[in-house]
Amino acid sequence: MYYLITLVVYGAVDVISCLGLSMQFGIGGVTNFGFIIFQAAGAYTAAILSLPPDTANGAFQIYIGGLNLPFPFPLIGAAVAGAVLAVPFTFLVGRRLRGDFAAIGLLVTAVLLNLLVMDYRPLFNGDAGLALVPAPLQSQGMATTSAAYQWSFAAGCVVLAAGVYWFVRHVTESPYGRSLRAMRDNDKVADSLGKNLQSLRTSVLLVGGAIAGLSGGLLVSYISVWSPAAWTYAETIVLFAAVIIGGRGNHLGAILGAVIVPVGFEESTRLISDANPSLPPNLLPSLQWVAIGLLIVLFLWFRPQGVLPERKRVIALPALPGAADATAAGSQPTARPAAETAFGAQTAVRDGSTSGAETASRAEIRTPAGPLAWADTEAQLDGAGPTASRGADPAGPPGADVILRAVDVSRDFGGVRAVSGVSLSVRRGTLTGLIGPNGAGKSTLLALLAGTDQVSAGQIFYQGRDTTRVPAYRRARMGLVRTFQLASEFKRLTVMENLMSAAPGNRGDSFRGAVSGRRYWRHDEEAAVARAASTLARFGLESLANEYAGDLSGGQRRLVEIMRALMTEPRMLLLDEPMAGVHPELARKIGTALVALCREGMTILMVEHELAIMDEFCDPVIVMADGSVLAEGTMAELRDRAEVVEAYLVG
Amino acid sequence: MTIFVASVGFGLITAAVLAIASVAFTLQFAVTDVLNLAFAAVMTAGAFVAYWINQAGVSVWLALVVAMAACSVLSVLLNLIVYAPFQRRGSSPITIVIVSLGMALIIEFGVQAVVGGVNVSYTMGQGTTYQAGGFILTTVQLVIIAISLVVMVAVHALLRYTKLGKAMRATAANRSLARNCGIRTSRVITTTWALTGALAGLAGTVFAIDIGSFGPTSTDLFVVLILAAVFLGGPGHAYGAMLGALLIGLFTEVSAAYIQPDYKYVIAFVALLATLALRPSGLLGART
Amino acid sequence: MRGARIRAEGVTAGYGGDPVIRAVSVQAEPGQVVSLVGPNGSGKSTLLKSLVGIVRVSAGRVMVGERNVTNLAPEEIARAGVGYVPQVDDVFPPLTVRENLEMGGYLLAKKELAPRVERVLSVFPRLGTMIQRPAGKLSGGERKMLAMGRVLMLEPAVFLLDEPTANLAPAIAQSLLTEHVRQLAEHGAAVLIVEQRAKAVLAISDRTYVLGGGELRMEGTPAELSDSQAFVDSFLGGHRGRVVSSGEG
Repeated sequence: MYYLITLVVYGAVDVISCLGLSMQFGIGGVTNFGFIIFQAAGAYTAAILSLPPDTANGAFQIYIGGLNLPFPFPLIGAAVAGAVLAVPFTFLVGRRLRGDFAAIGLLVTAVLLNLLVMDYRPLFNGDAGLALVPAPLQSQGMATTSAAYQWSFAAGCVVLAAGVYWFVRHVTESPYGRSLRAMRDNDKVADSLGKNLQSLRTSVLLVGGAIAGLSGGLLVSYISVWSPAAWTYAETIVLFAAVIIGGRGNHLGAILGAVIVPVGFEESTRLISDANPSLPPNLLPSLQWVAIGLLIVLFLWFRPQGVLPERKRVIALPALPGAADATAAGSQPTARPAAETAFGAQTAVRDGSTSGAETASRAEIRTPAGPLAWADTEAQLDGAGPTASRGADPAGPPGADVILRAVDVSRDFGGVRAVSGVSLSVRRGTLTGLIGPNGAGKSTLLALLAGTDQVSAGQIFYQGRDTTRVPAYRRARMGLVRTFQLASEFKRLTVMENLMSAAPGNRGDSFRGAVSGRRYWRHDEEAAVARAASTLARFGLESLANEYAGDLSGGQRRLVEIMRALMTEPRMLLLDEPMAGVHPELARKIGTALVALCREGMTILMVEHELAIMDEFCDPVIVMADGSVLAEGTMAELRDRAEVVEAYLVG
Repeated sequence: MTIFVASVGFGLITAAVLAIASVAFTLQFAVTDVLNLAFAAVMTAGAFVAYWINQAGVSVWLALVVAMAACSVLSVLLNLIVYAPFQRRGSSPITIVIVSLGMALIIEFGVQAVVGGVNVSYTMGQGTTYQAGGFILTTVQLVIIAISLVVMVAVHALLRYTKLGKAMRATAANRSLARNCGIRTSRVITTTWALTGALAGLAGTVFAIDIGSFGPTSTDLFVVLILAAVFLGGPGHAYGAMLGALLIGLFTEVSAAYIQPDYKYVIAFVALLATLALRPSGLLGART
Repeated sequence: MRGARIRAEGVTAGYGGDPVIRAVSVQAEPGQVVSLVGPNGSGKSTLLKSLVGIVRVSAGRVMVGERNVTNLAPEEIARAGVGYVPQVDDVFPPLTVRENLEMGGYLLAKKELAPRVERVLSVFPRLGTMIQRPAGKLSGGERKMLAMGRVLMLEPAVFLLDEPTANLAPAIAQSLLTEHVRQLAEHGAAVLIVEQRAKAVLAISDRTYVLGGGELRMEGTPAELSDSQAFVDSFLGGHRGRVVSSGEG
């Protein structure tokens, strides 16, 4: 019977640790090779909090603390210790250090701390470790060897493990969890979207550390001994094997891995050695390690996602007002929000017209009365020239005022002048093209306008305000947003998640917000879902909503990037070669959608090489060469200007 | 003062053993792009191959040569069967580091499964003890230092003066351009594994000779010293590794003379962490 | 040096997924400078990369002389006598100028190495003044000269140059083209050069191909092309998707 209880306790402890690692490594992408030291910190803390002072035992073991605290303080102390220990290591996971170097730093720290504790006896009794750690409530006179106590203890462990599972799930199925996954997939892009990498990584380190500490406290209160031999760095590898094999990014997978690897291995080793008592004592433990190493390598090769792969987080699209693709044909959807909102497989049921509009106005989405069908837009564009003289515009007649102005802007790099005395004005509501041969300074100018680069001279005015010294992320908040040339989608997030990761101001996007629960961030989340859905609808891409972004074609990924920029509700978009590598038909569709956006009041400045696009969609077009503006006009006008032709041919 | 000088002497031995291992490790990383955490396990395998040959009656110095050959083959196989396929697949660097940890387990505990948990020693004489100017070193220790110096000079000569060495540096600097020069980079990489593998075998055997009594897990702590030396000097930079080894070797031994010997490795670890935090490119800058 | 003809026959190539260039055929004879021009994104660099084995060719073939070198490894194509100067990452930054050149001469016999280095230095005397300097510390123009010198070490039968004048000051770019590139052909090699500066490279070319949208749009001698409105239009997007051929195909 005691055997079964031991199994359950060890299992629960391993499950808890693996859940902590799952959050750090599986969701947050932080490879913490020093994970075991957080469990050790928890175990030692629980031990010294529950042990009586070392002098009381005739000093056969020496340690600090010895506060003889009753349950549950040692356990709480254990979790706190795990979190506190994580603090000094946050410097290793900042932006500057490569992931594999940081992992090595953590590995080395684990070895170092083990060494220190082993050698410095006054701390935790050194090499011999601590013994006689009281079980919970033992000092209160509980009969800890009784069956009832043992079973209760085991049950308590299981409850605790379930609680940790619930907590980790609760926290990571949230906008915060989405930001973690985004950071894991592509930290540079997450950074450019405004995610604070340092703070995200710090939070997973601390929380994972606390969970690990808790597991240590639990373990030591059961086995009542704890020494450095129990937490060599190899133990971390076992936990990593468990998470990798069970399923990375899936908490149930972490539980499965915990059961298979630490527990499964221990038990099968015991069974084999019981059946073959004549085997040399070291053989089986050694083979156990060999098997773990083999499993790690084999799984990483054949099934890197693990036994239980990360589940796709499907987000149901709300029905939009007047949408042709209504969710329930003919039936009148009710206005009550479903108990499970957009997350999970339940369909979010919404009223077709009213609450859709409510949601829309609450989120201040600038969408037309219904999603634009491609056919409509193209019919309107047929035979007509560029946008300037379109019909009624809800934002007022476009072209009237200037939204962005550059005055004599220059940028020097060392001795080279990439942009030289550029002055230009962009009128509101226009789709302006920026062209020029290679090295003309187009991308540099775009960066200066967006704020990702600083001018060497001159000024930039946005909406009449001097924004020359304003940094990029603040300009973004003011509505001036840029896209980048290189592919930057989050591959293992769905298109919806990609879009929603860019929605600003979601209260659930911090650890505290995540802990506060769905009720706290539901509104912001629903608004983000609605906005993402309507953005998708605008481009006719609803069918891609729940596809992994990494599975899309090149052109579709470009679109995701543009849509993501739109999620921040910009007033002006700076697009850097949005059509690069895109199929001509898709490029035309993108152009059409951009024109439609401008008709609604958006302003777009677009750097492009595909001059056919300029022809069809842009007015005006600005030509740059050798760092300055050469000419401005429609593409047809520009082709007739000798200096423009010259610039392109001279290169 | 005599303690200081004597500890410098010990420091030189540690540095000597460390230098061989660190230079090999960093060259592996520079040319092949693999942070091979199984390196110490390969060292262990080498030490035990030498042990078995030694037990058969052969002088440990000859056994050392066999160990080098065995580790050379082992490393080439390691790349062929494990690392290269993962690299071809485009696995991330962190995946490859985890794979190397897995291989470390397989090799190290594979050896332990065969050998058992008991520590062993080579059958060898220590030679006479020399004392000069405060240094106290035995013949064996002097031989180790000499071997290390020879290896450093040989590596230097290889990289600076031989065609292969320059091809290695070119492959490390710009693999694609190296191929455009007609260099068969896959052969250069295989050769690099063979050479650095041999050095791992040498380092392992010499390490075992130095510490006297050793077991399958003796190199666990040593791998951290290697990492400290490599990162201190700059990962991928051969001369940086030599410098790093010297510094780490001296620091640990000299400090051991003044603080409790058990803490001597603390200095190495702190150095490593400080380097990672403040100057990840190391003292001598980026890769060779 | 003896030249060889390099020819791409109906080459379709890309990075996996959609092909970047489709059914492109170009060729350069020994002693010719053949240029490849076109707007950005037209696939010029990709075409060169597919000729040297960096980008996978999915259809068509690449011939050097009579030898089919399609999809061979870059080191084998180098051994077949093709020298390639990439647009970026064109030198070994931690190696000295001399060592860079020696890398270029990797395939040479030992006794040929030193004389060949001297020969290359006589073509690029500037390099001789900085022979021990690490390549990473050279200026843009000096780096490009070193990159070309490295390729020159093998005196290949075919030279492939990817935008060698990018980021160079106009005067240096001009001299690079007229003095050095033209000379390579005059010594017998076949030269295929990709360039943004269409006018400048036209001046030194025997034949020019115009790429657009991954396809061949036009080809002809510089004289034919400069007079052609279609040529100008292809740069400025006036005629989309029309392939106009002036002169022999």
